Amino acid sequence: MHSLIQLSIAVLLLPLLSFVILIFFNKRLPRRGDFIGVGILGTTFAISLYIFWSVVVQSYDPAFRVVWDFTWIDLGNVPGVGPLVIKMGIVIDNLTAIMLAMVTLISFLVHLYSTGYMSGDPRYGRFFAFLGIFTFSMLGIVLADNLFAIYIFWELVGLSSYLLIGFYFEKDSAADAQKKAFLANRVGDIGMWLGILILYSQFHTFSYQEIFANLAAGKFGLSQAWLTAAGILLFMGCVGKSAQFPLHVWLPDAMEGPTPVSALIHAATMVAAGVYFVARIFVLLTADALHVIAFIGAFTAFMAATIAITQHDIKRVLAYSTVSQLGYMVLGLGVGAYSAALFHLVTHAFFKACLFLGSGAIIHAMHHEQDMRWMGGLRKHMPWTFATFTLATLALAGLPLTSGFMSKDAILAGAIGFANAEGGGIYYIIPFLGFFSAMLTAFYMGRQIWLVFFGESRTHLKPADDHHHGHDAHAAHGHDLHHEEAHGVHEVPWNMRAPLVVLAALSVFAVYSPDPLDGAKGWFMSMVQTPATVVGSSAGGAKHDTAVSATRPDRLLAEAVPAVGHGAESDAHSEGVASEAASEGHGAEAGAHGEAAGHVFSDPRQASIAHAAHEAHNPAILISSVMVVLGISLALVVYVFRIIDPDRTAASIRPLYLFSFNKWYWDEIYQATIINGSVVLSKVLSWIDTNIVDGAVNGVAVVTKKVAFTSGGFDRYVVDGAVNFTAFFVNTTGAVLKKLQTGKVQTYVVMLMLAVIGYFIYYFTQLIS
Amino acid sequence: MELLTNIGLNHYLTISALLFGFGLFAVMTRKNAIVILMGVELILNAANINFLAFSKFNGGMEGVMFSLFVIVLAAAEAAVGLAIVINIYKIFRSVDVSTIDTMKE
Repeated sequence: MHSLIQLSIAVLLLPLLSFVILIFFNKRLPRRGDFIGVGILGTTFAISLYIFWSVVVQSYDPAFRVVWDFTWIDLGNVPGVGPLVIKMGIVIDNLTAIMLAMVTLISFLVHLYSTGYMSGDPRYGRFFAFLGIFTFSMLGIVLADNLFAIYIFWELVGLSSYLLIGFYFEKDSAADAQKKAFLANRVGDIGMWLGILILYSQFHTFSYQEIFANLAAGKFGLSQAWLTAAGILLFMGCVGKSAQFPLHVWLPDAMEGPTPVSALIHAATMVAAGVYFVARIFVLLTADALHVIAFIGAFTAFMAATIAITQHDIKRVLAYSTVSQLGYMVLGLGVGAYSAALFHLVTHAFFKACLFLGSGAIIHAMHHEQDMRWMGGLRKHMPWTFATFTLATLALAGLPLTSGFMSKDAILAGAIGFANAEGGGIYYIIPFLGFFSAMLTAFYMGRQIWLVFFGESRTHLKPADDHHHGHDAHAAHGHDLHHEEAHGVHEVPWNMRAPLVVLAALSVFAVYSPDPLDGAKGWFMSMVQTPATVVGSSAGGAKHDTAVSATRPDRLLAEAVPAVGHGAESDAHSEGVASEAASEGHGAEAGAHGEAAGHVFSDPRQASIAHAAHEAHNPAILISSVMVVLGISLALVVYVFRIIDPDRTAASIRPLYLFSFNKWYWDEIYQATIINGSVVLSKVLSWIDTNIVDGAVNGVAVVTKKVAFTSGGFDRYVVDGAVNFTAFFVNTTGAVLKKLQTGKVQTYVVMLMLAVIGYFIYYFTQLIS
Repeated sequence: MELLTNIGLNHYLTISALLFGFGLFAVMTRKNAIVILMGVELILNAANINFLAFSKFNGGMEGVMFSLFVIVLAAAEAAVGLAIVINIYKIFRSVDVSTIDTMKE
């Protein structure tokens, strides 16, 4: 076993150990055992960092891959299915190593932060236990090398999310939110499972590599439409977990959970798992499936951004921002900007975790006030929080010199390239929505910064009866500091500050790339490169042969290169076909030419999109910068200089304002259609149950009773009658015959004599005749 | 007189039948067990007379032999029968056969 595999198993199991210790023994440990959670996660992070170091930094090979698996369940030859072997395994490549480091780092920081934020909570120890099992499940998703394993961990993160959203389960809203999250995820997971089954039915394996190899070899026995369907069904898992339209409704409600949970699960890691999963199966997505993904991502990004601009709750703004940014990632994958989408996943994870932890610090300092209308002027009281929050905001808005700028720009460049390569028309909606959302993002984040940190404190403006729901949940949250400074807003302690600083530092461009304008020159996009598709580019076509041959890199390279227009020497490497196919020349090339140029695709469609994306890089930078500046200026104009009065503007476009404020009425629409539909359906079914099913059962019972009655009568009168008659007959006969036995010898003699006489009479009559 | 002088087979048979009838009558009607045994003796002797009569008129000695056996048997039977009667008397304190009906039903 490779030493990295051993280390990754340790990384996977340590958080589970933390969970087991804390869930059983937290009340018997000093400080409820929080030091165990933090310590174990610290160790886990250290190991992950070592893995990251040896995989990404030392080997510096885009095609690095270590796979290890073992047979978990061998069901033998199942009739009607064939040999059924379920394997468990671990794959470590650059993406895995980066994700491991990212997840464990954020998890560690959130653990540390929670020692401050959650202190005094009656279920303090349990909180850390839940964080442990969540981290375990998330690492399982990252490390899994097959669809079955990822599905298991997928459900486990769903469970942890459920437990943590409903951490304050005394609150009805939290209990409702956790149910909503679980059910919405369930809808997506069903689709994902069906997708897995479609692939399994064809290849009898769950392993990514085997599925991709089989696809590349053209062994998919069904039509191309089935493959598209499988891709879209698998994407449904992402729609649920990554809160894409139409299943996005659960994520904003999930903010009922404690804020560190929002940072860890509902901003940085779990919701990114959907994107990560789509990236894992990226090579089997057909062009049609990718189009669906791109449109859903673009729509989600736009819709969530429009909602975020009118929300009052500080966490809700961030939640919709998360949905919007996840939409960007999905959009990025849909348009084929694979590296960019994953880059954005990582950068977003850091700055959004920073924003959530910052909002947690604000909420903590404001004594659980979450409404931005009653904040203001916190800049002076909380300088550390202000600085880190602002830096992360700039990254989210996508200002140059931040990580978010590079990754968002790469996605948008990909979107433009995609639209160009697809021939424009309707496809320009995708980059348009992307850029428009970028402007909205800048606007709502500028609004948030201004409302929270600048101006004068508006705490006194809050209506007395408008008690925020957050209060009740934290009634037991009697922190000593709160009593000392009942009304003063103060900076948070060091254990909450340190994570903010670390995360803010990771939002700076220099961490990822030497060139602040081009993320493609950085290590991330060199190490995580778009894998060549294994399904070909015949969009919706049934030309299976073309699709297969297009994936043979060595054979088609000659045709592909002219089409691409780049005479690069590097081999095209196909993740699905063979990991060894990757060349050593990749890294240097990629560093020099960026994502598109350093990578030559055997597939013409991928190649043309990558090429177009590369060309669209500079326009994208320009447009997105303009958009961001526009958004921030608008925020300044509205909230700082008060040239446009926000309230009056809202009143003048009241329908639009209400449309946004009420979140596009999705909850109401779902209530009216799906939920009420379910209720009506259940009533109909109930009626059918009581009247038809029960009626049938009762009818059967009545018939049975009649039959039994008849049968009983037959039994009683005929069968018993026969038996009783026999007995009666014998009895009567015996009663008559017993008279013969008088006990008197003389009677017998008389009878004997009569018998003899009778015999003689008979004898003689016979003799005479 | 001829009836008395010309004694033939029918005379013997008639006597024998009468004797059998008396014996049978005694067996059937008397209540005393000893009298019944006496009736049985009469029946046996009626049979003896038949044996001897047929032996005399048909020739041969088989009937005589049979009658001798019957006499022996009758003696044995009388001994056994009287022993039974004595035992019955011991148990029931009576030799009245009408009261000895414990084998009824």
